[in-house]
Amino acid sequence: MADDALFDFLHMEIVSQVTKSDPGSLQDGDEAMSKLEQIGYSTGYRFIERLTKDLSRFKDELEVMKAICKDFWSAVFKKQVDNLRTNHQGVYVLQDNKFRFLASISNSRQYLELAPKYLVFTCGLLRGALASLGLTCIVTAEVTTMPACKFQVHLQRA
Amino acid sequence: MTIHNLYMFDRHGVLMYYGEWNRKRQSGMTIEEEAKLMYGMLYSIRNFVNKMSPVDVREGFQCYRTSKYVLNYFETPSGVKFVMNTDLHSQGVRELLQQINSQIYIEYCVKNPAYRSGETIQCELFKTKLDELVKQSPIFKG
Repeated sequence: MADDALFDFLHMEIVSQVTKSDPGSLQDGDEAMSKLEQIGYSTGYRFIERLTKDLSRFKDELEVMKAICKDFWSAVFKKQVDNLRTNHQGVYVLQDNKFRFLASISNSRQYLELAPKYLVFTCGLLRGALASLGLTCIVTAEVTTMPACKFQVHLQRA
Repeated sequence: MTIHNLYMFDRHGVLMYYGEWNRKRQSGMTIEEEAKLMYGMLYSIRNFVNKMSPVDVREGFQCYRTSKYVLNYFETPSGVKFVMNTDLHSQGVRELLQQINSQIYIEYCVKNPAYRSGETIQCELFKTKLDELVKQSPIFKG
């Protein structure tokens, strides 16, 4: 569908714009990544308000994470998270076996070095959404074989 | 029924991809030279067909056939050209080329940030998906 493609292309352009503006050293790369993450954060922060306008309040942390895996993921990526794991101490691992932003890049180790920059926006998106729901956290992502990837959410206890 | 090979050219005539399945005879030149020859011929035929047509041209050039094979030609409005050689009995090649365009080229090249337009396609994912689609098609199996 055209509207899905629009989001894909816009995301591609945002990533290339942000990372292109400061090529070169690793330090600058980090800066680009945090900018991307920040864009994701504010997007997620606002988006979750819109998404949850008709939902009831969540009972606990786990319910929030489940909503993220189901409703949030479906709304953004048109599919649910494939696997959710937790150690019950504030660490959650969300696994997507066919992540939308990687699905058309590769299904092997080719272009693996490109993968991280296509996950940063989503990390921010997650962090923003959780922040808006009252959970402060750090989100990281890892890829071993595309198009599968894992997002790790570390909740920060107050 | 068989599929022999497939050429993909971009708007400027650059060979984007060449795939080969059942080709029994080679042309004896490098693939770059062959692609140039092919593109030149297509360019001429296209112009020829458009100029000689006694009625309004709609689709323009679509295919030619010799006693041994058929060259099928499909061009998108944006100028990407798909050329597939098949044997004389193959049917529905046009639909297959449309599928290759919409399901493979758009999905795995246009939507792929690792691919830059105007370059030869290097993506493994594109190659495997294309190979799968071609090998699944009844034209290939038949």
